[in-house]
Amino acid sequence: MPPTDRPAGQFCRRTRREFLWQAGGSFTGLALAGLLDQTFFARQTRAADGTPYANPLAAKLPHLAPRAKSVIFLFMYGGPSHVDTFDYKPALYPLDGQTVKVKTKGRGGERSESRVVGPKWKFSRYGQCGKWVSDLFPHVARHVDDIAFVHSMTADSPIHGSAMLQMNSGKIQSGAPCLGSWVTYGLGSENENLPGFVVMLDPTGGPISGAKNWASGFMPATYQGTLLRSKGPPILDLAPPDDMPLEAQRALLDALRAENTAHLLSRGDNTELAARIAAYELAWKMQEHAPEAVNLARETEETKRLYGLDTPRTADFGRRCLLARRLVERGVRFVQLYSGGAHNDDNWDAHGDLVKNHEFHAGNTDQPVAALLTDLKRSGLLDTTLVIWGGEFGRQPTAEYAEGTGRDHNALGFTMWMAGGGIKGGVSVGETDELGSAAIAPVEGEKPGFHVKRLHATVLHCLGLDPNRLSYFFGGLDQKLVGVEPVEPIREVLA
Amino acid sequence: MPLVCSPWHRPAVAAWIVLVSGAASSAAVDFQRDVQPLLARRCYACHGPDEQESGLRLDGRAAASATLDSGQRAIVPGDPAASAMLSRVTSNDPDLRMPPEGEPLSATQVEMLRAWIVAGADWPEHWAFRPVSRPDVPMDDAAAHDDGLNPIDAFITVALDRRGLQRPRPAPKAALLRRATYSVTGLPPTEAEMRDFLGDESPGAWERVVDRLLASPHYGEHWARHWLDLVRYADTNSFERDGGKPHAWRYRDYVIRAFNHDKPYDLFLVEQVAGDELPNPSSDALVATGWYRLGLWDDEPADKLQARFDWLDDLVSTAGQTFLGLTINCARCHDHKIDPLPQRDYYALLAFFHNITPMGDRQMNPDFIERALPDEGGSLAEVRDHEEEIARRRNEARANIKAIERRLEEHGPQALDDLTRRDLDTWKQLLAEIDAEDRKRPRGLVVTEYGTEAPDTFILFRGNPHAEPATEHRVTPGFPRILGAAAPTIVPVPEANSSGRRTALARWLASAENPLTARVMVNRVWQHHFGRGIVRSPSNFGLMGDPPTHPELLDWLASEFVAGGWRLKRLHRLILLSAAYRAATTGDETSATRDPLNDAFWRFDPRRLSAEELRDSIHVASGVFNPKMYGPGVFPDIPAEVKAGQSKPGDGWGTSPTAEQCRRSVYIHVKRSLITPILADFDLADPDTPCPVRFTTTQPTQALGMMNGSFLQGQARLFAARARQEALAAATQPGSADADTARIVRRVIEIALVRRATEAEVARGVALVNRLEEADGVSPSRALELYCLMVLNMNEFAYLD
Repeated sequence: MPPTDRPAGQFCRRTRREFLWQAGGSFTGLALAGLLDQTFFARQTRAADGTPYANPLAAKLPHLAPRAKSVIFLFMYGGPSHVDTFDYKPALYPLDGQTVKVKTKGRGGERSESRVVGPKWKFSRYGQCGKWVSDLFPHVARHVDDIAFVHSMTADSPIHGSAMLQMNSGKIQSGAPCLGSWVTYGLGSENENLPGFVVMLDPTGGPISGAKNWASGFMPATYQGTLLRSKGPPILDLAPPDDMPLEAQRALLDALRAENTAHLLSRGDNTELAARIAAYELAWKMQEHAPEAVNLARETEETKRLYGLDTPRTADFGRRCLLARRLVERGVRFVQLYSGGAHNDDNWDAHGDLVKNHEFHAGNTDQPVAALLTDLKRSGLLDTTLVIWGGEFGRQPTAEYAEGTGRDHNALGFTMWMAGGGIKGGVSVGETDELGSAAIAPVEGEKPGFHVKRLHATVLHCLGLDPNRLSYFFGGLDQKLVGVEPVEPIREVLA
Repeated sequence: MPLVCSPWHRPAVAAWIVLVSGAASSAAVDFQRDVQPLLARRCYACHGPDEQESGLRLDGRAAASATLDSGQRAIVPGDPAASAMLSRVTSNDPDLRMPPEGEPLSATQVEMLRAWIVAGADWPEHWAFRPVSRPDVPMDDAAAHDDGLNPIDAFITVALDRRGLQRPRPAPKAALLRRATYSVTGLPPTEAEMRDFLGDESPGAWERVVDRLLASPHYGEHWARHWLDLVRYADTNSFERDGGKPHAWRYRDYVIRAFNHDKPYDLFLVEQVAGDELPNPSSDALVATGWYRLGLWDDEPADKLQARFDWLDDLVSTAGQTFLGLTINCARCHDHKIDPLPQRDYYALLAFFHNITPMGDRQMNPDFIERALPDEGGSLAEVRDHEEEIARRRNEARANIKAIERRLEEHGPQALDDLTRRDLDTWKQLLAEIDAEDRKRPRGLVVTEYGTEAPDTFILFRGNPHAEPATEHRVTPGFPRILGAAAPTIVPVPEANSSGRRTALARWLASAENPLTARVMVNRVWQHHFGRGIVRSPSNFGLMGDPPTHPELLDWLASEFVAGGWRLKRLHRLILLSAAYRAATTGDETSATRDPLNDAFWRFDPRRLSAEELRDSIHVASGVFNPKMYGPGVFPDIPAEVKAGQSKPGDGWGTSPTAEQCRRSVYIHVKRSLITPILADFDLADPDTPCPVRFTTTQPTQALGMMNGSFLQGQARLFAARARQEALAAATQPGSADADTARIVRRVIEIALVRRATEAEVARGVALVNRLEEADGVSPSRALELYCLMVLNMNEFAYLD
């Protein structure tokens, strides 16, 4: 509160107008944000210290006018090679086999020179925008006019464990809530019969660090990701055991409600007791409705074919992409799909035979991913659904070993893409150097590339959440997904 | 306007009434309770210790009332018209109005500031940084005695009376016993204990219960868990491999024993912080230092130096929040934005830990983190002698083996005669025996230092470990300045091969002069009995924390705790014997309206069982509970669907025999990336960061697990078998089916809810069982199991009055 002789518009080294812009963007936004400050955020942030709170997953209003309501994050676990997929590097082909001076940092440590592995696929131009895409993705390539590519992504770690945590939670240590947790914390869920944050794993297994990748960390468990299986009962404990028929279970629930209601009579001021009574009824409804969300019987044959359910290669990822559309359609806020699981060549971690690895994973996912974009678009859902594609990092342009085509990890520059709600299609922003080894600065002297935090800020922004204001009070700090320093969304990709 | 309390009176409204009437305003506004938290939350981010926009600093009276460059003064004590702060917070011009973010201050808040300025802008030092006082008990002994009140109640009653709130009614005896048995031991009372207490109308009945509970070994298990939450205890390191920490469970056992043996809290702290530096450290003192090894550890960091400082930061954060209630971690990159903790204080505290060895490099280094432990009453010197002897024998055996093998390599198999061949076998066997003998000696997870000389510590610009260190930024180990302690005296400890820095820290932490240590701990004890601390933010006693609802009581308890030799059981006893603890959860409506958050303790707040309490109570009800204490962690069965989330399903998870799985939840192996579902569902503390207050969430997925999950289904089955067996064994003659069902139903209620069943309840139970039998495919025995499942799901089972 400065009584000051400086211009009145000065605030925190920003002009008042800049501040208004950053805080809200518009009068409505600011008014809304102010309202939220006093009610929703104030209450939520105190909850960690024991103040009671209610309905943590009830749908909430965002800070700003949202462009997207839901997110589908197609996580290409292991780290796809950008120079073999979407980051076209013509200069790299003729260097194949030559040893060049290039700084790299991967799981095998830092190097200053290595043997180039030329890109193993041909690139062609697609769409109105003329985007170069490799032969690995002939189906996705047809959607480039809806996609914004970010070619200069950077992350802090070239090691799977910590890089996975950073892509999912912003921090390289575990203990912080994941992106999906932040989103459901900020916006709640629009369907109480389904979890707000859903994770579908690859059939080969979970990623490294397992549940840490969908944990709510220091936030309540309400915001953690729920594993959803594409076969069998979709959610843990959703199906009653065979020797508890539904009719019996209903009788049990009725009796339970009667006992709990009697118990509540003399304890009417304890809202938790009433909430727990309601939770059993919600569980009953989930049990009834969640299987419907994963039941594909009412999808047309054409749709199933579109996603590749009729082909063994694409059937699994196709099924999960189709489920993702059905979940988003039903108001699930954040859906994350893993392409690749477990270790080594079960995911995109191509240390050995690059061609074999990438042909396999791209072949499993290209048609389903394209189908998801097609399907979302034709149903109008793409306008309100943000689709993200990418891994925890990219790969080096050079060989990891003396022999072979295997590439080591690369967090200094890699590609991710986004499409849908709030995203401008047909654009490519940021670039790596001519070898694709590292992101370069858009303006000389500036920081190279777009850090993972910028991606997270973009996602929150598209959902109408201000990345620099969405906070959760913990450990004496207003914790934010993007950290304490202000982070801008990648404005170049915003529609 | 009237000053009396009307039925719709609320504290804030009352303050407003007093203020606008202009009467006794200084008495109505409390700087600590009303003004300081407002300034901290709404102003300090830009006008506090770290930043001073426009030169204004609002975290001290002198600075806040100084003349600024503009010639104005934000606060002019006694002169609201001249105080620019008031015009800025009330300005209608959005470009001028402060604070710029969020809602403007409310009329009540503005009037409160005005009244405070009118009254002279009194600015006492933050309560938590002042030395602990010894307030007089505000009630004379005779009056207290007549009302059956103890000193705690004197403080609470005086405040209740002052606010015109009614004193609470006592809780029914059954509810009280159940409440206390859980809050002391984490388990339900037995039926015999309930019977005894309900039947004991003699004087001293409650005291006897309290003493019995505090003597129970289950007390240590339950209270250890509270401590383990604070020190982010886990048996693994997280990150990619989430590998095991060797012998971490011994630390868990140490904490259980410390509580059970009523180890003085000052010693408990000293052992954890510097047990290894004590003269001739005991096994306990060494194991206690496992405290340093409990956190996350990245075995493959992308940036080694950064990872090293992140690891040290974890220690500073945990120590600051857990021991001191200070969020000193906020001063890593810049001065604390709210509390008077400069960045220098952070690095001065970090310096105490700077010489500690890491967990290892890629592999955990046993020389750094493990140590053979002395026997009970034995010394480390004996251990060393023993280790040297083992090493000597091992080297001899190895040398002989090597020599023979070299001969074999050089000359081929024909070079060895039978005798030498036998020799080789003998040496190899001997080596195996030596190794076995070595393994038999218990080892602990411990702290070690690099040596007696510690490295220099520098303030890191923006917290960046790669920043160039500057000589003027060198810091020596020191305590937060605001707490006014003398500089530490540091004496290296060559016997421990360590710098002695941690001993200096430990001595200060555990001193009666430390204004925070005792306050923070008594508040935690209070918190776990009453469901909330006197300070609601138990790990944040700073300016952003909640002010104490009963500051004098807090200080009185803290001084009593220290005077009583830092003994926790004495403190528990004092609390448990208070009328406040024995209060009913019901209260009058007026109090509920005037004090909805129960700031004044006009009743006892009900609570849900914790995750562990719930799981353990289910085992108790089903009859399979295994009270075995101590030892390596156990592995309850985890559904395959959950293990499927791992990159190698089942990796790092063992199998334990059924009986072992029925031990208390505190003995479950804590694998950071694989938490037992029922515990995760019911808000177990996240093991990655210190957890001062657990959440209590209520959500449908809990209900799914409690109805459909394999754990509950299995337990309901066991429970039904137990109840049937006990109910029918007690029956003198065979009855009708309905009569048998009624007996079993009655028994189920008695076991699970530890009370007599009402006839109406039994009738409802029998009706349910009969109705279930009519459902398809439900046999009579299955119907009883489902009835048991229903009872385990009852709110009465999961909640305490």
